[in-house]
Amino acid sequence: MLPIDAAAHSSRWRRRHPVDKAVLGLGLTVLAISLPPWPGAALVLLTSLVVLLGPAGVPGRRLWRAYRVPLGFCVTGAATLLVQVGGPEGFVSLAEDGPLRAGELLLRTSAASLGVLLFAFTTPMSDLLPRLVKAGVPAPVVDVALVTYRMSFLLLDSMRRIREAQAARLGHTDRAAEWRSLAGLGATAFVRAFDRATRLQAGLAGRGYDGTLRVLVPEARVSVPFTAASCALLATLAALTLVLERALP
Amino acid sequence: MHIAEGFLPPAHAVAWGVASAPFVVHGVRSLTREVREHPESTLLLGASGAFTFVLSALKLPSVTGSCSHPTGTGLGAILFRPPIMAVLGTITLLFQALLLAHGGLTTLGANVFSMAIVGPWAGYAIYKLLRRYDVPLMVAVFFGAFLADLSTYCVTSVQLALAFPDPSSGFLGALGKFGSIFAVTQIPLAVSEGLLTVLVMRLLVQSSKGELTRLGVLLAKKRSGTGTETEAVAR
Repeated sequence: MLPIDAAAHSSRWRRRHPVDKAVLGLGLTVLAISLPPWPGAALVLLTSLVVLLGPAGVPGRRLWRAYRVPLGFCVTGAATLLVQVGGPEGFVSLAEDGPLRAGELLLRTSAASLGVLLFAFTTPMSDLLPRLVKAGVPAPVVDVALVTYRMSFLLLDSMRRIREAQAARLGHTDRAAEWRSLAGLGATAFVRAFDRATRLQAGLAGRGYDGTLRVLVPEARVSVPFTAASCALLATLAALTLVLERALP
Repeated sequence: MHIAEGFLPPAHAVAWGVASAPFVVHGVRSLTREVREHPESTLLLGASGAFTFVLSALKLPSVTGSCSHPTGTGLGAILFRPPIMAVLGTITLLFQALLLAHGGLTTLGANVFSMAIVGPWAGYAIYKLLRRYDVPLMVAVFFGAFLADLSTYCVTSVQLALAFPDPSSGFLGALGKFGSIFAVTQIPLAVSEGLLTVLVMRLLVQSSKGELTRLGVLLAKKRSGTGTETEAVAR
């Protein structure tokens, strides 16, 4: 199981309905990209961090490990805003408002990422996917996504074991061996995926498979107080941003 | 490389979502029709999605010494065709956004457009074109995977340049900046992905003729005698 999904399964908010967490987490993300980066995204960033580390109970180290991935892309992308191409100062020169634009972009992206992480760290995929049918996603697509999700972990585990076996057989000693091992890994993933699908199909056919995958979904109800509190928090953040934007330099 | 959460302004995020929607809807219709006609396809398509997800998690040694991840769009398009890849790619990108924090939900439309639509279609188009002119299968596979990878990153550069035009030279200057960082450095990685895909396909031709025939990459050819044999064909 991947670290974020594993954390979601043991989250304090695991039993909450995904809609509750979507309103809060994705609402924060929407606010982060819609409000002015200063002070809007900064407020969203702070609020998300407080909710993640406080009520949601996400361990700080796990959060940082997941958070540094998008941060790497943001820093690389934002660095390009520091320079400009052409103009009177030469072919490549420092952009006049580059640091400001880069800073705003970093703020917005950091805040938006935390909003999605709040949702991801509290909502297991197995709770979310079956409910997508009610949201209008065609059932066959959800079924394919469910099989993809469950088979991904088995395949990732297989890949890890094969990689260890290849390493034990000196499969990574030089570049040529590494390429051979990598190709073997990719091909084996394909063969194993199709082999598992065929065996799964045979097993389900013996149990009267009619084309729909029925899975048990943990019962949960949308909490009106939680959703209302989330909406109130989002509205407060938006209002505070508008007030502070005028008051701050 | 996916565009991270919140990186695009809201208007751009919505616009790329709208641009991707027809392709994904077309793919969903194809997939739904396939599943209704052949219910057992659900499991094979799910396995294909898992394969695509796992493929994108492989670490690829780069010619420059660093390492990256293959996009898998070229191999996916050759094996499963672009309309199906639009759906499988969207599912994979959704999983990557929520399970790995790669990409994002507000940038899903933009990432789908580059990785699940343009990449597969470009790779599949060159693969099909080369096979039509009887270019050997492995050469066609190499160029299919190479172009799928490179076009994905070129489109990403265009998306970023449109969102963040250069203050002095506008869109073209920004395209040069983002292109030099993402697309040019991607050329050796695209070569690497092309080579890896050829190696994978060679092994698959040796070990999984049945699956490749079922997918239509290889075609069963009746011989005048009693047996059958498979040969690579352009679909």
